[in-house]
Amino acid sequence: MKIKLAVLVLILALPALVRADSQWMLEKSTLTYHISHPLHEAEGVSHQARGKGICQAGQCNFLIAVPVKSFNSGDSNRDLHMLEVVRGAQFPMVVVRTEVPEAEIKPGTIHADLEIQFAGQTANYKQVSFQVTAQGDEMTLTGTIPATVSDFKIPPPKLLMIPIKNEIPVDVNMTWKQEK
Amino acid sequence: MNSKAARFYSALLVCLIWLACAGPAAAQIASATITGKVTDSSGAAVANATVTIKNSASGEAVEAQTDASGAYAVKNLVPGDYDVSASAPGFAAKTAQVTVRQSATQNVDLSLEKSASSSSAEPSLSQLGFPSSETQGNPELQARLNKRTRMLQIHQRLGLITTAPLIATVITGAFAGGRSTSSTDRNIHMALGTATAGLYLATAYYAIFAPKIPGTRAEGNVRFHRAMAWIHGPGMILTPILGAMAYQQRSRGERVHGIAKLHGQVAIITAAAYGAAILSVSLKSGKVSRSAHKVAAALGLEHSHADNALTGDDASANP
Repeated sequence: MKIKLAVLVLILALPALVRADSQWMLEKSTLTYHISHPLHEAEGVSHQARGKGICQAGQCNFLIAVPVKSFNSGDSNRDLHMLEVVRGAQFPMVVVRTEVPEAEIKPGTIHADLEIQFAGQTANYKQVSFQVTAQGDEMTLTGTIPATVSDFKIPPPKLLMIPIKNEIPVDVNMTWKQEK
Repeated sequence: MNSKAARFYSALLVCLIWLACAGPAAAQIASATITGKVTDSSGAAVANATVTIKNSASGEAVEAQTDASGAYAVKNLVPGDYDVSASAPGFAAKTAQVTVRQSATQNVDLSLEKSASSSSAEPSLSQLGFPSSETQGNPELQARLNKRTRMLQIHQRLGLITTAPLIATVITGAFAGGRSTSSTDRNIHMALGTATAGLYLATAYYAIFAPKIPGTRAEGNVRFHRAMAWIHGPGMILTPILGAMAYQQRSRGERVHGIAKLHGQVAIITAAAYGAAILSVSLKSGKVSRSAHKVAAALGLEHSHADNALTGDDASANP
């Protein structure tokens, strides 16, 4: 009888055992890409990223996604052209995955390996630095992802037959909230 | 021809045929190699992954296992196109296409993603709450975007080409209207004007008929670019009409009179608006955008953000 009871308790306790230790939710974000052309310096901004982090056994897996079409450069023509060259209708989301030790999520500098899916391609960025600041149960993370158009096999857009530079750094500013 | 010579030429012919056949035969020697590394999304090696290398033409497949460092190598492959796929427990299979050449070693690295069921601790895209309309691809819209860009690129190129006869027409206009000018000067001016008008119409066609993208509002320099089209568009129609009237008057030995006297002024305004339209898409957003508001307001076009028939969806293909 005692064994049966113990098994029953164990079965009932199982979901609690495998449940995440903690979760992080993306509260607000500003993602800004920069493009450079001999005639133009332009940037596109999106505030529509959503993200979630699940921490278990000391490791946190984060997933951040943002619709490609949500980036606004202030010029509808440029945005539509960008949407076309990055095949934004066919691959409408930018998805970022990263795994960070839970102990490293604290104010200071954090280095993360990022896997970014964009334009039908996947690129990996090693040891990207982010500054982390804390306020209550919120963490704000800022940094720059050194992306390039060639990382995603994107043909560089041209204006007056001159292509943009290969570098398209993306500034990241995200505020995460921890949920126990 | 004696028998010695006949034998020599026969031998030579056999040698040539052999050499001609030897080339393609050599191309089929199985001497190519495909190597690579299989990693997970964090870049860590995936050991004991199964790598399948399948010849796209013949369908013949060869399998290999990755070692502890995630590396694999398959030798003695016939040159051609191959599908290289990797799979491992807990990971979603991944395939890449590759072409291998004679005696060459082609490197194909594959990064595997953990399958959805591999870890309960990984958040998924569906948990982020995006509507499916935002996360699913739309090939129809992509095709529309592609067509729009192609048409606007042609519009841009033709627009730039049009500036050459336009400038030449304006310059030759100075020698075509005076009292002492010859009919040759007028004919050259008219021919250049006709070429400009023809190219302009072709340029306009590619902007007007570029596919519209639903839910898009015009923002930025394109608004100024469009506002200018309301000046150079009618101007490009009016200028040749006035020019033809002036040409006929001069050809009859009369002085240019009446409305035809405006030909030169209308042409200058048209050319200036056309130049401003080109410059507007070559300058940084913001500066021109503010000017666009003023010009659009002055022209009574400020209320219209929607697509219009004169300029089409957009009139350039900015990066």
